[in-house]
Amino acid sequence: MTTATTTAPQGADHRRKGPGLFRQTLRLGRTEFTLFVRYKTASMYLLMPVILLLPVLNQQSVPILGEYTTTELSLIGTIGAIALFLGLGHPCNVFTARREALVLKRLRVSGVPATAIFGGVFLVVLLFTVLIAALIVAGSVALGGPLPADPVMLLLSVALGCLAMTMLGLLLTRFAGNAESAQILSMVPMMALLFLSGGFIPLDVMPDAVRQVALLLPVAPTVEMAQAAYFGYDVFGGLEGAEPVGFLGLWAGALPGIGVMLVWIVALALLVRRYFVWDPRRP
Amino acid sequence: MTTTANTTAESSAPLSTPEPTVVVRDLRQRYGDFEAVRGVSFDIRPGELFALLGTNGAGKTTTIETLEGFRRPDSGTVRVFGQDPYGQPTGVRERTNAVLQGNGLMEDLSVDESLSLARDLAADPRDADEILTLVGLTDKRRLRVRQLSGGQKRRLDLGLALLTRPEVLYLDEPTTGMDPEARHETWRIISDLKRDGVAVLLTTHYLEEAERLADRLAIMHRGEVRVEGTLSEVLGGWGDRVSFLVPSDVRTADLPHLDGADVEVQTRDQRLWATYTIRAGDVADRAHHAVAALMAWAADHGGALHHLQVRGASLEDVFLEVADGAADLVGE
Repeated sequence: MTTATTTAPQGADHRRKGPGLFRQTLRLGRTEFTLFVRYKTASMYLLMPVILLLPVLNQQSVPILGEYTTTELSLIGTIGAIALFLGLGHPCNVFTARREALVLKRLRVSGVPATAIFGGVFLVVLLFTVLIAALIVAGSVALGGPLPADPVMLLLSVALGCLAMTMLGLLLTRFAGNAESAQILSMVPMMALLFLSGGFIPLDVMPDAVRQVALLLPVAPTVEMAQAAYFGYDVFGGLEGAEPVGFLGLWAGALPGIGVMLVWIVALALLVRRYFVWDPRRP
Repeated sequence: MTTTANTTAESSAPLSTPEPTVVVRDLRQRYGDFEAVRGVSFDIRPGELFALLGTNGAGKTTTIETLEGFRRPDSGTVRVFGQDPYGQPTGVRERTNAVLQGNGLMEDLSVDESLSLARDLAADPRDADEILTLVGLTDKRRLRVRQLSGGQKRRLDLGLALLTRPEVLYLDEPTTGMDPEARHETWRIISDLKRDGVAVLLTTHYLEEAERLADRLAIMHRGEVRVEGTLSEVLGGWGDRVSFLVPSDVRTADLPHLDGADVEVQTRDQRLWATYTIRAGDVADRAHHAVAALMAWAADHGGALHHLQVRGASLEDVFLEVADGAADLVGE
């Protein structure tokens, strides 16, 4: 720096007080909702988990958790997979498209923090995931299933799943050049994680090593939590021989899975922060 | 906006000159082996419009993107309000805004919804009606953005940038796609911004735009600033041209020598034409002195200077010469 001073003409005392990160996130969440409803492709991510319910409902049903059957278990397991479709698919698709259309850059140059922009899309993913999860629970109850044993844990499993999958979807935008390639790109981890989620194919039928690996990935722990929270059984050690447990027993069993999810969320958030690309012009 | 007296002891600027809001020093940016920006330096003060001109790929947008905080300089210093803008830190992001080269609008929102969103996200936004009136989109407010024409989208984009009351505004080809009327109206809006003390960085392919609006300008070519200064400095450095038909009885070698001028003789239509390029001397008077000297010389030879033409430089002349790769055109 030469003679030019770096002192601002209107210094720090001139800073403006903005609406705050929380309000900005909520406001962007509202717009995300509007855009989601108007964007036809988004409905595909809503339909995918519903379509996957069909084979679940048609499979041979045998009792596995006391009186509860494999069908009921798989139905509730689907709750863990909703975030996989919506969270991974929708943000990856629309954020790639918006980056290419300079929409994201426009928001940033207007002074909107990255966290609020990411938070907005997370909110819409969470909203629609909770909505479909509520429909599945309602369907399950209508088919003679119980009311959720621990609704808080059920909600937590949905929220953790949405957060991790949204982060993963956002991270994948780095490798997509346009909305179409983003859709295809997101399908690869989507199908792999779906296969290893335990939602459709119980992890019990897989080799133990595969099961252990699956439980370290960011979907299977949420499926397990959803099933445990709904039926009140300690399924964390496998379905075989799982017993009904009380509130504390359920949460104690869920802790390793919650830990795995939190590690994924922090790691993915750091990766998104470091590698997310706002600008379509790449170095 | 108020101006602040310069309190830097080293600075030679007069006391009434505000401190620069934007300071760029020896900025360099590389893409792999390719150096897109090679040692660019400039300042922008409140109320000043600095135009960055250049051919496509000259490094203008990379420079703006660095100022916007999307790229960390490979070397050199960039400061906006005294802060490094990389990552849009608090204290910078609330006080700057930009019109990007593309629109960056959410096509599925209406004009009203776009403004409402921008207002709710901003610290101290201007009124939506005021912005719509300013950019002439009041009657389009209920339309979806995708239904607007290209020029209307540009105007909405400008409106969104003005809505946050920026103190520093980056305009990357803001009038591209606008009809002449909208372009003139945009120029008026930008002039008003300058009067309100906004520091503006403008890139444009319309040289008339830079001539009308810029207080200072730079022409970039292949990552470097080749010419920089006020408009008159830039044009002054390029020189005035006096040309005439060489009288048939005069040999080329007998053409008079003028101080501070170069003479070039060309053959056109099988006749000789002389062109004097005068670069030295007072910009306001040098053409007059040159013509007076040539008239006196012609009178001594008992003849007249036929097809006499006197022409000052236009920004386009300078731009084209820089774009052609002339390296000796570094302005004062």
